[in-house]
Amino acid sequence: VPGMLYISRSCGASNLLRIKRSSFSHNPLIEIYKPLRTRIESCLRDGSTKYFDFAVIGSGVAGLRYALEVAKHGTVAVITKAEPHESNTNYAQGGVSAVLCPSDSVESHMQDTIIAGAYLCDEETVKSSISSLAHVQVVCTEGPDRIRELIAMGASFDHGEDGNLHLAREGGHSHRRIVHAADMTGREIERALLEAVLNDPNIYVFQHHFAIDLLTSQDGSETVCHGVDILNTETKEVIRFISKVTLLASGGVGHIYPTTTNPPVATGDGMAMAHRAQAVISNMEFVQFHPTALADEGLPISPTKTRENAFLITEAVRGDGGILYNLDMQRFMPFYDERAELAPRDVVARGIDDQLKKRNEKYVLLDISHKPREKILSHFPNIAAECLRYGLDITSQPIPVVPAAHYMCGGVRAGLQGETNVCCLYVAGEVACTGLHGANRLASNSLLEALVFARRAVQPSIDRMKSSLLDRCASDCWDRPVYPTSLGTSVLEKIVRRTREVRKELQLIMWKYVGIVRSTIRLKTAEQRIGELELEWEAYLFQQGWEPTMVGLEACEMRNLFCCAKLVVSSALARHESRGLHYTIDFPNLEESKRLPTIIFPCSTPMDSTWSSRQVHKQIC
Amino acid sequence: MAKNLGRLFSLVMGLSEPKLGLSTARSVSVNSARRLICSSATRQQGSPKSQGEAISETQEKIQSEKEQDNGDGDGDGEDEGDEPDLNKETGEVGGPRGPEPTRYGDWERNGRCYDF
Repeated sequence: VPGMLYISRSCGASNLLRIKRSSFSHNPLIEIYKPLRTRIESCLRDGSTKYFDFAVIGSGVAGLRYALEVAKHGTVAVITKAEPHESNTNYAQGGVSAVLCPSDSVESHMQDTIIAGAYLCDEETVKSSISSLAHVQVVCTEGPDRIRELIAMGASFDHGEDGNLHLAREGGHSHRRIVHAADMTGREIERALLEAVLNDPNIYVFQHHFAIDLLTSQDGSETVCHGVDILNTETKEVIRFISKVTLLASGGVGHIYPTTTNPPVATGDGMAMAHRAQAVISNMEFVQFHPTALADEGLPISPTKTRENAFLITEAVRGDGGILYNLDMQRFMPFYDERAELAPRDVVARGIDDQLKKRNEKYVLLDISHKPREKILSHFPNIAAECLRYGLDITSQPIPVVPAAHYMCGGVRAGLQGETNVCCLYVAGEVACTGLHGANRLASNSLLEALVFARRAVQPSIDRMKSSLLDRCASDCWDRPVYPTSLGTSVLEKIVRRTREVRKELQLIMWKYVGIVRSTIRLKTAEQRIGELELEWEAYLFQQGWEPTMVGLEACEMRNLFCCAKLVVSSALARHESRGLHYTIDFPNLEESKRLPTIIFPCSTPMDSTWSSRQVHKQIC
Repeated sequence: MAKNLGRLFSLVMGLSEPKLGLSTARSVSVNSARRLICSSATRQQGSPKSQGEAISETQEKIQSEKEQDNGDGDGDGEDEGDEPDLNKETGEVGGPRGPEPTRYGDWERNGRCYDF
């Protein structure tokens, strides 16, 4: 396809990006003929199938916002792998950006977004990235209405003394436009949406339900989504959800890295399932890191439990005079940027990462101890307290820090209505790649993107749902995944233990070879090592008696992490320039001709593929 | 600060919905929230004895900083009277005390960055 920077393992790719506009008038599965009596019996035999008009995978802001709208037109299942509030949304504490001040403008918000995204440089070059510009425009234009709706739903944001919304100004924004609720905006939005969802009689929330794979079929050249297979992680039961429309809103993938701000649920399940379902994935090389998370390995007393999500040390520490040193107490930032510690966050992150990789070390030091003790304790009591718990006094010792993975700009490629190249499958939120963030996300744009695209996917979903016929025997058309009870507890425990080790090994490979400062040779090493690790792990599984249709939480998360890690590496290898969050020493400059998204097409007939790249169920009719 | 604690408590109550069987204790899962609820009640725990007095001095300072932040309003330039919740520096009602949380780009609270 001209004008696209892409990698493809596939055969015919020409059809994959065009979204079919014609209405889906019949379900091909109905054409399977069976005598009526047999059909009814075979349908009733298996009770663990549920039928919904809409299935929503994920319970963050995107999933819940969408659910509340489509629930006015049909039944909705909200499927969430842990407790409903466990989502990246809940940890997005900063704010939501929107043009809500008379002196601000949509154009200004758009421009800030585009500049941050390192995506477009001027009006004339807009045409070849036209889809991204349109995405930027709709988000910035529709933002204010989405915020007002949230307020109408009961979300409570901070106000100024004049009674209007208090708007903060965050790095990268040229106007005050961040709406927030103290230091828990995401949590407040999540709370308000969850309350509305729980009160809606048409919405059924299934918590501790883990999505395994999307149920898909081929209708000519088009892939169609019919629902999703789920594992109830509490009862170990596999349940098949058949739905006319599915929204993937499963969030991020921070846990491909060892240090991340994301909660444990963020294992890239949605991106992996979509890739296995033949959806197009885009821009996975753009991973956002915060430069200075507290590095537990550098603390005098090791925490007894591994931290689930990173403790980030604010940029204000550097702003107030904190200095970065490597473990030889050399101040290194001046070598990378004349602004030294006051360089932009991404530059600092690169400097730290470079030092760590060159010197093969685990953390660097951020020293504020040269400042007056009183000032340190009055400005940063949170850091002081946390470090003190582990024997570190920041008024006299430097703080060990390491970059933490925070946000994935890439994901499942979405059109302006949140549609994907898979019929009846929509995406919204961090799992989607709408093109808004480009090569680097502007602060506070992620909650906004989730709100806007969740809302935009509503009408097309309703239209699609209304023109779909539900075949109650569809559920028989794929093999059923099974929980491996037959292997016995002790074998299962061994498998879980080994899987946990493998996850740590994968994270180390990703951090070591696919970090912030990249190189072709490191990326190729990563590709090889990840491939080997994956084969080794799968061999172990199958050696223990695991069968391809078996599913368990840890194993499924692991296969999703492998899948996403490989997507990140392939995307990074494909981009022969440095742009935004993707920096590679082999192509250290921006190349105008490469200002295009990275697209990964699925492979329609995978050869020598691994368990992580295939759907668990085979289509049997 | 008191308002934030109030909001957190209503969050905890609101999330314990019988329909889902959510347990109250697990509902508020963010570390900073737990710290907010616990900090005014307990002293810091877990520092090694060998660091002795310097540590306990620092602990007291942190404790008093957190208590100040909790609602005294002394000496940080705020009005008492009509708008006890107003932060003069940022013009915000009901928000965090002290300087603008985003002044250096990320969102910070007492040193911890909670978003960016």
